[in-house]
Amino acid sequence: MRRWAWAAAGGGLALLAAAAPAAPPPVEDYVLHCSGCHRQDGAGVPGVVPALTRLRPFLETPAGRSYLVRVPGVAQAALDDDRLAALLNWVSSEISGVEPAPPFSAGEVRALRERPLRDPRAQRSTALGRSAQ
Amino acid sequence: MADLDAQVEQAIRGLARRIGRRTFLARLGTLLAGGASLPLLPVARSAAEGARVPPPDEDISGPEGDPTRCEYWRHCAIDGFACACCGGTASTCPPGTEMAPVTWVGTCRNPADGKDYIISYNDCCGKGFCARCGCNRNEGDRPDYHWVRNNDINWCASAASQVYHCSVAVVLGQATERQPER
Repeated sequence: MRRWAWAAAGGGLALLAAAAPAAPPPVEDYVLHCSGCHRQDGAGVPGVVPALTRLRPFLETPAGRSYLVRVPGVAQAALDDDRLAALLNWVSSEISGVEPAPPFSAGEVRALRERPLRDPRAQRSTALGRSAQ
Repeated sequence: MADLDAQVEQAIRGLARRIGRRTFLARLGTLLAGGASLPLLPVARSAAEGARVPPPDEDISGPEGDPTRCEYWRHCAIDGFACACCGGTASTCPPGTEMAPVTWVGTCRNPADGKDYIISYNDCCGKGFCARCGCNRNEGDRPDYHWVRNNDINWCASAASQVYHCSVAVVLGQATERQPER
């Protein structure tokens, strides 16, 4: 009897998991988590909020990719690693017009989020400086 | 005063001598047409521009409610004066104020249709406190250290004038899930 109960409970959980709604598309995560500051077209506000339309220099080097994931607004977003990776790929391609190569993966995002940036401004310069060389 | 009249008359007569009536009309037409196209330029359109999520249903079903009340569904996380009481609407700033370009975005559930909508809480800036319909609802609001979800911030810091007047609650689109921090 008890075994049946466990099986029923397990089956119920499996059904619940199957019925769980799919994650929202990255554009929705962008609007909810990024657009308040970076604006809906990613243009930012000069002198106040950086634009997301010119990410190419960051995407071309490991230091730049690392910065993009570890910068507090990204690393601390209330999104799991899968959705954050999808969001980074969407912003890169749709707002900056650059396909990240390789695409950001949940594993890369997870590893980078575990290393908070101590000094985002300095790290930004370092990342851009390296990419400029 | 007579001198001024004479000067103006002389200037206009000089203008009339130099520019034919057709030239004047052509230039006036250019000015009017150009002026009409100015609002199309990408300047200071804030929340109205570039929505990238599907727009909300044409007719959000059920009664819209009263945007001059704090209980209005779109005001679920408003902290400030509702612009609908200040000469604006729930989604437009009153005349003489500017919509701050930086804001915070959350979701509110519309009880009329049971759906969640993405709401942009933009502050309107450039005039002193409206001081009408002061609302303080904090559904989804987070502490200062989670500032992107904090409604105590004066978002006019990003506008030309940092003087806060009131807040709007613009519907950006339908949300497929409720704001995850709830």
